[in-house]
Amino acid sequence: MDAARVGVITFPGSLDDRDAARAVRLAGAEPVTLWHGDHDLQGVDAVVLPGGFSYGDYLRAGAIARFAPLMAELVAAAKKGLPVLGICNGFQVLCESHLLPGALLPNAGLHFVCRDQRLRVEHAETAWTADYSQGQELLVPIKNADGRYVADQETLDELSSSGRIVARYLDLNPNGSLDDIAGICNEAGNVVGLMPHPEHAVESLTGPSTDGLGFFTSIVKRLVNA
Amino acid sequence: MSEQPPNTPGPPDGPRRRDRSDETSMEWLAGLKSDADDPELQPVDPAVTQAFEAIVDEDDPAAGEESGLIFGPSDDPSGPSGGQTPPAAAPAPAPADPGPAQSGSRRGGRRRATGPIPRTSGERAVPAAGRSSSGIGHPVPEETSGPLTGPIPPLNEVQATDPAEAPANAGDPARDFVKALAAEGTGIAQASASDPSAPGFPDPGFPDPGFPDPGLTNPDVAAAAAAARREPQGSQGSGSFENPRSSQSPRSPEGPGESSGPFALPELRDQQEPPARPERPAEGSSDPVAGLAALAAASGPAGESGEPGRPDRPVASGERPPTGPQPVITAVGVPSPAADPATDTVAVAAASPDRPQPFAELGMKDEEYQRVRDILGRRPTAAELAIYSVMWSEHCSYKSSKVHLRQFGDKAPQTDALLVGMGENAGVVDIGQGWAVTFKVESHNHPSYVEPYQGAATGVGGIVRDIMSMGARPIAVMDSLRFGPADAPDTQRVLPGVVAGVGGYGNSLGLPNIGGETVFDACYAQNPLVNALCVGVMKHGDIQRAIAPGPGNRVILFGAGTGPDGIGGASVLASATFDDESQQKRPAVQVGDPFMEKLLIECCLELFAEDLVVGIQDLGAAGVSCATTELAAAGTGGMHVELDSVPLRDATLRPEEILMSESQERMMAVVEPGKVDRFMEICDRWEIPATVIGAVTGTGRLVMTWRGETIVDIPPGTAVDEGPVYERPIAVPADLGALQSDTPGRLTRPSNGDELRRTVLWLAGSPNLASKTWVTSQYDRYVLGDTVMAMPENAGVVRIDDESGLGIALSLDGNGRYTRLDPYAGAQLALSEAYRNVAATGARPLAVTNCLNFGSPEDPGVMWQFARAVEGLADACRYLGVPVTGGNVSFYNQTGSTPINPTPVIGVLGVHDDVRRHVNMSFTSDGATLALLGETREEFGGSEWAHVVYGHLGGLPPLVDLAAEAALASVLVQAGREGLLTAAHDLSDGGLSQVLVESCLRGSMGARIMLPGDPFVSLFSESVARAVVAVRPGAESKLAALCEAKGVPVTQIGNAGGDSLTVSGRGPEGDQQEMFSIPLAELRESHERTLPSYAG
Repeated sequence: MDAARVGVITFPGSLDDRDAARAVRLAGAEPVTLWHGDHDLQGVDAVVLPGGFSYGDYLRAGAIARFAPLMAELVAAAKKGLPVLGICNGFQVLCESHLLPGALLPNAGLHFVCRDQRLRVEHAETAWTADYSQGQELLVPIKNADGRYVADQETLDELSSSGRIVARYLDLNPNGSLDDIAGICNEAGNVVGLMPHPEHAVESLTGPSTDGLGFFTSIVKRLVNA
Repeated sequence: MSEQPPNTPGPPDGPRRRDRSDETSMEWLAGLKSDADDPELQPVDPAVTQAFEAIVDEDDPAAGEESGLIFGPSDDPSGPSGGQTPPAAAPAPAPADPGPAQSGSRRGGRRRATGPIPRTSGERAVPAAGRSSSGIGHPVPEETSGPLTGPIPPLNEVQATDPAEAPANAGDPARDFVKALAAEGTGIAQASASDPSAPGFPDPGFPDPGFPDPGLTNPDVAAAAAAARREPQGSQGSGSFENPRSSQSPRSPEGPGESSGPFALPELRDQQEPPARPERPAEGSSDPVAGLAALAAASGPAGESGEPGRPDRPVASGERPPTGPQPVITAVGVPSPAADPATDTVAVAAASPDRPQPFAELGMKDEEYQRVRDILGRRPTAAELAIYSVMWSEHCSYKSSKVHLRQFGDKAPQTDALLVGMGENAGVVDIGQGWAVTFKVESHNHPSYVEPYQGAATGVGGIVRDIMSMGARPIAVMDSLRFGPADAPDTQRVLPGVVAGVGGYGNSLGLPNIGGETVFDACYAQNPLVNALCVGVMKHGDIQRAIAPGPGNRVILFGAGTGPDGIGGASVLASATFDDESQQKRPAVQVGDPFMEKLLIECCLELFAEDLVVGIQDLGAAGVSCATTELAAAGTGGMHVELDSVPLRDATLRPEEILMSESQERMMAVVEPGKVDRFMEICDRWEIPATVIGAVTGTGRLVMTWRGETIVDIPPGTAVDEGPVYERPIAVPADLGALQSDTPGRLTRPSNGDELRRTVLWLAGSPNLASKTWVTSQYDRYVLGDTVMAMPENAGVVRIDDESGLGIALSLDGNGRYTRLDPYAGAQLALSEAYRNVAATGARPLAVTNCLNFGSPEDPGVMWQFARAVEGLADACRYLGVPVTGGNVSFYNQTGSTPINPTPVIGVLGVHDDVRRHVNMSFTSDGATLALLGETREEFGGSEWAHVVYGHLGGLPPLVDLAAEAALASVLVQAGREGLLTAAHDLSDGGLSQVLVESCLRGSMGARIMLPGDPFVSLFSESVARAVVAVRPGAESKLAALCEAKGVPVTQIGNAGGDSLTVSGRGPEGDQQEMFSIPLAELRESHERTLPSYAG
């Protein structure tokens, strides 16, 4: 059986694209490199929007990336159910693209924050979290300058009541996100945005744990079983 | 042992042995307490003072002897000073030290330090065996007549006393000299002639206004000008300078003319045009200035209205040209017969030999200027002067340090590891399996004081491009930072800015920051040190060189546009001593664009992968000047550059400014003509502007044209390799003897358990030893997914090869206090520490880089420190078998006449054959045996304890013991490889106490410690060549055997476990007594709260 093909989009300022590809590979899928300027998703089964500073992000994180040629394809495909995981900058791009509600603002402390962050999985039934159990606690690096999730109260209530908060920060809220939100998903559960970096917790040698691998094995299993 | 550093001459135990007898001298210990009641030396914390006073040993027999020996203040000052004037008496010798201090003699010589020179670390550093006393760095009198102390060379002391230069400078020197340059072209003279009473005369950038006008009144000049049909010069000069704001319309007047630069945006193209265009009188009518200029050229009196030709620089880049007379677009591509009016061409230079030039403002000495004239056989043009002044600046030419730095090559150990040695952008080291590593550290000190964020950010950017230009993919950065006192108001400005800058740039590039240092000391209060390191990897075959061979090959400038950033930063700002004017230097600091740099990295890697470049060079200090001269000089020797094809962000830039601009994120490549198209395609893909600006020639000359005329025509090698070399005078600092005599033996020590406990907590929370998480949490240490270890670990460790596990370890260390007390030893101690740190992770130390931060080389005391430090480092590198692969010298780190503590920052690279066997510093294995490797001596000179508790700096730093260092490293490497250890932590600042604090907190596990000797000495001494290891259960005897085989003393000091740090010592009868216990929570509070409380 062919391995699932998971695309990783590289914007000019993407930084964690190789790491995302490594995580995809470690999870047993085939990573496919996608270029922001192309118009072709190359028939991949799922897509990861990696961390970084897509176009420098001097304006607002992800604000320009949403206009990338490939993003038009991605938005259309995501609306049809293509599984998409946006990590960090990818989360920002997903919000800017309106695939997810809300926005990500500069951290409350106004500093870049890099730390090993404890999370709790709040929704274990999305395309990207099925390998976790509800309430499972993870240790995953977080590293960003603009990670403070905000949305209006109505949206927050809606996210909360419909179970679309995928993960929350534990112990310490590193960036002032409302409701300790670390990640959310769309209504269908195929599009997930996550501020922490699960792709940096996939090997015990280089990560604080291997807790992040579950995001990638979740999608692989789903694709294989589909 | 194969992992043992090669070239370890002599028996490893020579020097260590000789101290052993001293160690046990309890009288001496007691003596150290004898001056406890000196009111100036009381602990800062009154509570501690009180307690300490109770323990003073008043009638210690050694006290008398000690004080007798210590006092040398009278002879100390005389010693050094007497020694410095006559060259023969040199620095090194420690006359008081009878003979090469074999065994017991060291202690005496050391405490006394009566000689002008400290104890010569050289002698201590190198095992006696196999070396005569005149060996490395030993202070034998004969040696003193050596190069370091030799008479002073001719070139150095000339002061620019020419009154013509004196008036310079009312404002920003960087700007002034640029103005001066532009003025120098033709303007000054004409201006004075045309309007002698012009208000602008006092412009600081000008040569003495009273100077006979070499311009219009000089028939030669007039003739030349006429010949060059460059009539309008006249109005150029002073008008534009003194009245910059009135010269409003400068940039627009002329049409794009011959400016056919393909990259200039239309509106920029307009701006690029030189203003007054004589041959188009018609325009002159629409532009009064041009008309006036033409008139002026003809007969003198030029309009006093703002001369547009050279608008005073700061027009924000990107700003649109002023409205007003719009340029008439005419004759695009048709060369104008007349060049820019202000342009100082080679022809003009040849015809006006006597025109005064602002070389002094540019930092050149009379002799240097004369040398340029001799080389060229005429006066240099303004552009040539710009090139020579930056290339011969201290920053670029290493003119004061060169004679000393040669030792790194001369004394380089035999090694096969070095693929590319010093001299290139960075050295390249073979790490096996076909992989090579290049790494280098550079300073960006002065810019970071002026503008902390951008100064630090561009420091990172610059070193990353150095690494890229070797053909490597950058894989990690580190930073060594030094600031004034943590609680000083200005530190609270500089520290957050620098940290945010290092992080902001490095994080955006996607390079993990894997370690470094953050140090606070009053000596850096107005002179912070920001040293950035980058490391990159490549396959052996991918090494690129900064050369430009092959006539016909194209020269391509790619990356960001050239703007007015940091003009003169290299030669003026970077070498300027801070004073009241530094605030005015703000605009001279470069501004970074990490996104562009990230694109450049990816772009360059694709270019390299397709083998599209013949040679490549990054643009750093001195920008285009440096890149073109260096590439040309290293290639077939010739290059032709059309300077007006350089894409500009600010179209008003003059050629001199283009040459000196330090705009960031630019690279220059030499490309075969057939590959230019593909080169451009790749640049396009990454949206990187790239422009062919010239070609390699076989003429042996670097020729540059501007508006069709030749403004530079020089043999490039003369700018690169034939700069001045100074053997500056050196002399032992006058206060050194007194400093060394003021030993920490006078300081009251903690003695009982409660005092020791308090001291442990005090040190753990002191700014230098406190947790640096506030800093490092602003750096991305994860990106690229190969970071195995990062701060606060002993060293950064990065995986290179996923399959084999091949990886590297890097540590960056320095200690300004040690180096102040003894520069020779201080440099070696920094190397020792970095070497030890790398070995503690299990890596085999392989190569060295360095950043030498010192005060003014014109201060003989500083120069002596520098010479001694370099000598010490070179000797130690030879001894340890680790070659210096490159580095950086930063002089003029001082405020007023007070230099910083000399601070060599040393980086050591080590190799892990398999990073999966790395050893970290966390205590995590409950019950594991803790052992102390190495020998503890009573060494507190320059220690953190003396610094934190008393603010004391005096005595001598710890004994250097390279043999012991090498032996310890071999134990750590082999033990790591064999899996004998669950943790290892080197001992350095703060001694054992600090190691226990860090290892316990890192692993969140306590420890029960039984101190082997005097509790205070055991906990806080900073003796070298030591480490604490946690032994894997069951491996104790293997480790003991290994240590025995290597001659490394090993002492069991306790076990890991519990949730507090519990320390016991021996009571008077040798019985074990618990002295104190600190819960981890309390320890953590002390250790981690400090920095956030200062930095916010």
